[in-house]
Amino acid sequence: MHAEMAQVDIADAILVERCKRGDSAAMERLILKYQNRIYNVILKMCTNPHDAAELTQETFVKIIQSIAKFESKSSFYTWAFRIAVNLTLNFCQRNARFELRSLNSGDCGRSREGTQALSELLSDDSSPDPEKMAQNKELCEIAVQSLMKLDDEQRAVIILRDIEGMNYAQIADVLQVKLGTVRSRLSRARSRLREIMEAML
Amino acid sequence: MNRPDPNIDELLSSFIDGELTDSQRADVERLIAYNPQVAQRLQQFQKIKMMVSSLPHVKSPREMVERIKASLAAEALSAEQPIYLDERKGMRQLLLRRVVAVAAMIALVAILGGVVYSILVPETAFERATMTAADVESLSDITTTVVFSGRLELKAGALPAVDAFINRAIEDNGLSDYVTKTAQPSNRLYSLNCSRGDLNSLLADLQGIWQRFGSTTLYVDTERFNVPVVVNAVTAEQTAEIINQDNPEKSIEAAKDFAILNNMAELMPGRQISAAIDNKGVDLIPIPKPVLTGGDRKKTEKTVTPESKRDVSLTIVVVGSE
Repeated sequence: MHAEMAQVDIADAILVERCKRGDSAAMERLILKYQNRIYNVILKMCTNPHDAAELTQETFVKIIQSIAKFESKSSFYTWAFRIAVNLTLNFCQRNARFELRSLNSGDCGRSREGTQALSELLSDDSSPDPEKMAQNKELCEIAVQSLMKLDDEQRAVIILRDIEGMNYAQIADVLQVKLGTVRSRLSRARSRLREIMEAML
Repeated sequence: MNRPDPNIDELLSSFIDGELTDSQRADVERLIAYNPQVAQRLQQFQKIKMMVSSLPHVKSPREMVERIKASLAAEALSAEQPIYLDERKGMRQLLLRRVVAVAAMIALVAILGGVVYSILVPETAFERATMTAADVESLSDITTTVVFSGRLELKAGALPAVDAFINRAIEDNGLSDYVTKTAQPSNRLYSLNCSRGDLNSLLADLQGIWQRFGSTTLYVDTERFNVPVVVNAVTAEQTAEIINQDNPEKSIEAAKDFAILNNMAELMPGRQISAAIDNKGVDLIPIPKPVLTGGDRKKTEKTVTPESKRDVSLTIVVVGSE
């Protein structure tokens, strides 16, 4: 799981030190190591692949430009995601198109099959099969639409936990908030997601 | 279920994430066992979590590393751009240059003789090259079909940034197969064996960063004439014009012309001729500029250039500033 991989990473520390000395190969290795995970988190936050690619690029440019100032007070992993999440949140706040898309996202593209699958999922008492759920495109679409109806901070916390797999301490470090804030924000986000999905039925 | 209790929600949410202490965990397990509504709420949270975590993982675009490098190169170069905050100051400088230009013309005749001499001294020119003899030998594999061969030396302040820019330009123009690259701590070598059209496209791209080079020198290889020509402060357009001549003799002539002009411009007070060459200042001596092609920075489908058409051999050497 990602969270386990992201514990204090000795390899990261070595690469960061090399990067600080101007080693371009180390820089490239750090990019290759984290580009997919950072892109994936950004994409889930902003939904547009083009914007996500631009923001990922911007994130790494900022990481490389600031790496000399990185003091290892937190791990490179959470520091890098902090830059990515902050850039994405700023982008979301600035971008009027995004707001429009967010407001409309629940009203388009939801099929009858999707609504039925959601109804079955929410009413069924049995535990669903994660693999089958992942293969159900309609449910995936509903999950994306529901995420987009959350406010930015709630969306960020739930994506860092349930998609990137960070633990609460790492999320607190990324978002620069207290552990209790992560706990309550995550709980409210899940509760809100439940309400949004029920409203879709 | 009644309206959900936020405190219980928080416990349940932390429970499914494994973020509770042992005693908290035991409390929640007891609560679930005795209260069906809480158990149902827990199941709802688990389903929500599963829906989100089962979203497909999407990989970033393939060319991400190259995009990041290009972006870093562009930012490094733009950071070096001079900014003229006071336009009137620039105008005053221009007027001053016009006055200096008159004085410069008087000095011109005296300088001309020295300039011609410096161009035609082979040893001096090659001593200035920073490459080792072995480097040149390994990279300058010139065949008899080559109509132009030479070496372009560029001095750059930000070597990695310039390296990334050139690599991107090579890739954008589909020249990767025609280039041999060698990287050393203090310099980068790109040995091209391609058509004149290919080289024009590359030069058109390099033109965008040309003014950022500390010095630019073209060594026109003239093995057949035993008279090497060195063009100091050469521009991308001049390089293209020299290479685009119909035959090696004309290339040499063009190189000599530009060498004389550029050296005069370098030596003259006020460097008026530099401004004239760049079309930015006084039009003392109008110099026709060649038209470069392929300047768009977009990747195009490249057709393979047949070996017979690859009649240009140019080694670009980028040397980092001290």
